[in-house]
Amino acid sequence: MSLVVDVLAGGVRGGTSIMYAGLGETVSERSGVINLGTEGAMLVGALAGYAVTAETGSPWIGALGGAAAGALLASIHALLVVVRKANQFASGLTLLFLALGVTSFYGSDYVGKSINPFTKWDVPGLSDIPWIGEIFFQNDPLIYVSYVAVPLIWFVLFRTRMGLLVRTAGERSDSLTVNGYSVERIRSAAVIAGGALSGLGGAHLSIAYANAWFENMVVGRGFIAVALVIFASWSPLRVMGGAYLFGSALALAPALQARGYGVNQFALDVIPFVLTLLVLAVLGKRTLAAAPDELKRVFENAPAKT
Amino acid sequence: MTTTLPAPRSEAPLPVAPPEAPASDRGARLAQATVRWIAALGGAFLIFSALLISKNANPLTVYTDAWNSTFARQQSIEDIVIKMAPFVLAALAVVVPARAGMANVGGEGQVIIGAVAACGTAMAVGDALPGVTVMVLMMLAGMVAGALWAGIAGAMRLLLKVNEAVTTLLLNYVALDVLLFLIYQPWRADPTGQPATKELQTAAKLPLLAGTTVNVGIVIAVIAVVLVWIALSFTTWGFSLSVVGGNAEAARRAGLPVAKLLLSALLVGGALAGLAGMVHFAGVEYKLRPGFGAQIGYTAFLASWLARHKPIPVLLACFVFAALTVAGDSLQLDAGLPAATVNILTGLILIAVLGWTTSTRKANS
Repeated sequence: MSLVVDVLAGGVRGGTSIMYAGLGETVSERSGVINLGTEGAMLVGALAGYAVTAETGSPWIGALGGAAAGALLASIHALLVVVRKANQFASGLTLLFLALGVTSFYGSDYVGKSINPFTKWDVPGLSDIPWIGEIFFQNDPLIYVSYVAVPLIWFVLFRTRMGLLVRTAGERSDSLTVNGYSVERIRSAAVIAGGALSGLGGAHLSIAYANAWFENMVVGRGFIAVALVIFASWSPLRVMGGAYLFGSALALAPALQARGYGVNQFALDVIPFVLTLLVLAVLGKRTLAAAPDELKRVFENAPAKT
Repeated sequence: MTTTLPAPRSEAPLPVAPPEAPASDRGARLAQATVRWIAALGGAFLIFSALLISKNANPLTVYTDAWNSTFARQQSIEDIVIKMAPFVLAALAVVVPARAGMANVGGEGQVIIGAVAACGTAMAVGDALPGVTVMVLMMLAGMVAGALWAGIAGAMRLLLKVNEAVTTLLLNYVALDVLLFLIYQPWRADPTGQPATKELQTAAKLPLLAGTTVNVGIVIAVIAVVLVWIALSFTTWGFSLSVVGGNAEAARRAGLPVAKLLLSALLVGGALAGLAGMVHFAGVEYKLRPGFGAQIGYTAFLASWLARHKPIPVLLACFVFAALTVAGDSLQLDAGLPAATVNILTGLILIAVLGWTTSTRKANS
């Protein structure tokens, strides 16, 4: 039984950075903009989070720094695709390259530098619950923040006026124009907010999970987040579940190896991706029917409407 | 909510009124475009210079050093040509599906699977066959594997209406895990050393062009460019692809086999990317290792985009990216900056090109 707890606890710890990025991508895609630069936003977030923590000594300020860096990178995406109408895939990949360059350029000073990272904090009472406590309530503060962030983002997207505007930008942007709203402004805001969340995810990686900075440390988690959003059919709550599922798949191999089973990690790492493909194959039309209409136009290479 | 019906309005977007003045205006527009390009690229270099200064490096020294060690030495020019070959092939893998209106973001995975198939083939036949035969078999295996890998995305698009941009992207990671799985266990040459396959037998390595260190990959790539150009510009197939890419519904009503055309474009694209993997394996790396072929697919996507998805300009775009990669290595040697630093310049140039070299007329509104 301890194997299950280990894997699930590892899934929560390892899945949280992916979840933050997935939430960010959800916000962005809900407004009709796909951002393949999520990987890049996580990278700059990881470095900025680490650097700010190293300079200020406070991981909380570091986390904010990570979010700000992610937002800054995403603002370039917003400028390119929303204002200048550039191709969304090309712009996202461009930002990935930019982020790889910037983080290795400025990151070399921080390799091997020690910081004062987030530390594990047991929630009194809750952490004593068997299994549940170990999995969910013996974690670092950024994980607890995510427990609040998920329902909050869901609430904002689906129960507030702001969320309605974002979703309308993604579904039927011309009705915003008709009513005198600026689609560009709404989409830019959504893309930048999404970048901030991705940057926070990156910061979680460097200042709460790995407690280190090294070049290209995100290794694909940003792309996993893009896949996760499709898997979760653009719902923040399902992003949370999916992130833990993906995280658990990544935690399964080390947990098995620690118990002496000779498993090949990569046979298990592939599970989330195959799972996503299977979900698409089985629920294909239904999953994609949940996609924001304007986003489908991006996928189908149709000219942007606004 | 149905995804199959195209929105009626999108079917015939009103043609944007062309700028009023006709032919006489062309020169002026060309001049304007030139100014825009120069301003955009100049801006990219300016920002990069500022970043260099922030790290106490003199941008002028860095640029001259990088320029000299990239273009003034025979060896670096050869390195550029070597690096170019897989970029070109993988970029063509984006060009062909793009003609039919599809986004193949899966070059990364198709390159890896092509290399895996090539490596597997070489290991399977061993030294039993002459080198040339092994090479041909590896090429075929790489192309078939790449095509099948892209074919998964093609089948999902046609049978299940799942978009290929999504599936090709996901398949990249499956391919990467397949590669890592193989080299960490079943194909690992030395269980205690670095995870990698055993080196390709010398006879099966791609031959070098006389008197150089350049392998024949570039010849294969140039032939592929010409073939793709001919196929897209002068054959019924190529024409039909553009019709489908222009308006799939109209193509269907005109009686074109849209499904078959879309599938064929993806299969051809996948085969080209698979060939890129084979060329990179048998011409450059000779063994599979973690990080094999990393970013060839994404770089190629951007190169194809930069070339406006046209085969001949792809050569130029790939040359630029290959030169930037080589310049990155020399940055590391000369200026002591991390090799990945050059990605900043790549990114800035692309941002400039993406954002400021075309007017926003594409916007349609």
